[in-house]
Amino acid sequence: MKKVIAIAVVAASVGVASAQDKIVIDGSTTVGPIAKAFAEYFMAAHSEVNVTVSESGSGNGAKGLLNGTCDVGDMSRPMKDGEFKACAEKGIQPVAHVVALDGLPILVHPSNPVKDLTVEQVRKIYLGEITNWKEVGGPDMAIVSISRDTNSGTYETFEGMVMNKQKIHEGCEYVGSNGAVRQRVQSTPAAIGYAGLGFVDKTVKALKVNGVFPSAETVQSGEYPIARPLFMYTNGYPKLGTPLYQFITIYLSEDGQEMVEEKGFIPVTAY
Amino acid sequence: MRLETRKLLDKAFSGFGLIAIVIMALALVFILAPIVSRGSKAFVFKGTIEHRRVMLELFDRGNVDKFHKERDEVGKAREPIYAMMAEFEAKTLELETSIETTLDEIKNEDRNLRKEVSRLKKVTPRDDVLIAELEARREQFKTREAELKAQRSELDDTRSAPYEELKDTVEELFGPIPGDKTPVLVRQRYGQTRWDRSLIKLHELLYTEEWDYSSPDGIGVKVETPRSELFAGTCLEPLFSYTEENIPQMMRPRTTFYWQFITDVSKGDNFFGGIWPAVLGTIYLTLGSMIFAIPMGVIAAIYLCEYAKEGRVISFLRVCISTLAGVPSIVFGLFGLAFFLNTIHVSSSKSVLAGSLTLSLLILPTIIRSAEEAILAVPRSYKEAAFGLGAGRWRTVLTVILPAALPGILTGVVISMGRAAGETAPIIFTAAVSVGLPLKIWETMTEPTPALPWNIYNLCTEHEAVDEIRHVQYGMVLTLVAIVLILNLFAIFMRARISKKLRG
Repeated sequence: MKKVIAIAVVAASVGVASAQDKIVIDGSTTVGPIAKAFAEYFMAAHSEVNVTVSESGSGNGAKGLLNGTCDVGDMSRPMKDGEFKACAEKGIQPVAHVVALDGLPILVHPSNPVKDLTVEQVRKIYLGEITNWKEVGGPDMAIVSISRDTNSGTYETFEGMVMNKQKIHEGCEYVGSNGAVRQRVQSTPAAIGYAGLGFVDKTVKALKVNGVFPSAETVQSGEYPIARPLFMYTNGYPKLGTPLYQFITIYLSEDGQEMVEEKGFIPVTAY
Repeated sequence: MRLETRKLLDKAFSGFGLIAIVIMALALVFILAPIVSRGSKAFVFKGTIEHRRVMLELFDRGNVDKFHKERDEVGKAREPIYAMMAEFEAKTLELETSIETTLDEIKNEDRNLRKEVSRLKKVTPRDDVLIAELEARREQFKTREAELKAQRSELDDTRSAPYEELKDTVEELFGPIPGDKTPVLVRQRYGQTRWDRSLIKLHELLYTEEWDYSSPDGIGVKVETPRSELFAGTCLEPLFSYTEENIPQMMRPRTTFYWQFITDVSKGDNFFGGIWPAVLGTIYLTLGSMIFAIPMGVIAAIYLCEYAKEGRVISFLRVCISTLAGVPSIVFGLFGLAFFLNTIHVSSSKSVLAGSLTLSLLILPTIIRSAEEAILAVPRSYKEAAFGLGAGRWRTVLTVILPAALPGILTGVVISMGRAAGETAPIIFTAAVSVGLPLKIWETMTEPTPALPWNIYNLCTEHEAVDEIRHVQYGMVLTLVAIVLILNLFAIFMRARISKKLRG
């Protein structure tokens, strides 16, 4: 028994000693693909550091940073006043790193002939005022609207930029991740949904909004109306030279830019 | 009741029982058959040369000389494609530069003419005829310039844009084009590792997909047209038939047993490699929860059966335990987050430790209840005999009751182990992450881990390219089911052995 305790004590102390060799990332499912790519890239060069990524929504990214349970909080929306305040009270200083830009494409099933909607029309669809595709030039199908859950930064972006803080109608279906939005849309001909740019593939169709197609150019130039930066938040700016510092600055490198681009998002750098 | 009615009821009852059993068996088959058949494809499949390249470069596995020989042969088979693409690219570039140079020439001449005109305008007497002539020529240049610009955009539309699309599909199928820069993302460094995926990608290469919205009900229909039509008359036209005919030579499919799927780490976001971090995480979590739950559960059961005096408090405790057994697992997850992580801070972030503690709470009621049943099932005479021989209560429990109850306790442990291994909700907030390294045993105190149940869910809902890696998802499901099954078999075996030993 003594032996077991001794081993446990040694194990625990080693565990404490190696506590700096981990970077825990939590938060937005939109930022997830970027974080995962960065994590793998980082671990290829620093095999001694374990970078873990979980995707549970922007709200949880903020909460994780607040409770000190993660080193990096991924968020697809800026922190809110309340979150800042809670952090300040706990002595945590959230520092935002804008790692990429993202448009919020409005997605429909590829069999849907509708190509173009205005922000006004999208809002009316989500308010429940437009309920059939034929009202916006489509076939006679009842619209199935799909939204992200309210813990999501994507939802809050949508709520702010499209809904003008008006309430989404009650028949709307809420799903928990970008991938789930895509799956729901690709399997439902009458569906409409929204997700991050990196989640668009050929199984769903992105619409023009106000006549502008979401692309790197139109998002960067501000022409595409529903766009936002993607953040990684840290507690203070990481100490220079630490693994966390090296990780959080990957997006500034040329390789980081390539990863962001290849994952379908828009880099903030231009090499 | 008459005898006939009784018989009839009896028959009906046994009939219903039989039906229920058959339905359950069928359900089991319907659930297990797809899991096994699809899941086994993660382990046994037709692997292409790209799979062997991945194995060699990322996992240091395989025969280097044999691979190099095969690579060279495959390289030869693929060469015509790259040659055709290079020729097409060169031709496009040539066309582009010729348009550009003519445009430049026109602009130059136009500039000269403009200067000439402005010079002539200052000269007296003004030669209006000459000026008009020059202006007319400038007009001609303008139309020519517009023409050339139209040509250039046409070139973009008919050659460059379709070519870029083609290049992407070729890269997806065969990996990066030789001589190009190595992509940063591991996923893009290799082509299709599996023959079934290769054929799907080949189809994408051969056909373009469009949606036709002309049908009267307004709902689009998918139309596939051969991609070769886009390149009709160019040097790329033969590429498509060549690829279609020679795809086996270019990919070299071979039946591959990839049992290391379980013990390899994943690379490139689960695109390559195996699921070891998740398997190990599941094992840690299951064993960890057992370490906490078995002692607590068994001791609690002993207390309840042997020491506690029946009364209001104890029956209230029993009600609590039963209620705890019925609490939804997500509630345990949230409790784990709120209590273990945010209140008593067992670790600075999510960790296997916090997850194990949460899981142990979840399975505690089952273990207490089953241990209690097992202890109560021990014949009174055993206890009385032990007391009669002068053994104290503690000694009786330890040497007589517990060994006799062990098979029953083990059953409870087995059931809970399977539950702990497969439970998702309690670990979402306390232990599980989607990407992470396999942990060393001491790291479980502080670090989170991927775990099979969570990663299955995560892959199918959150991975941005899940359709490409369904086999990994099914492989995970099969592994999880197999782990639970093996745990159960092991415990059934143990139980049988112990009860045999007890019976003497």
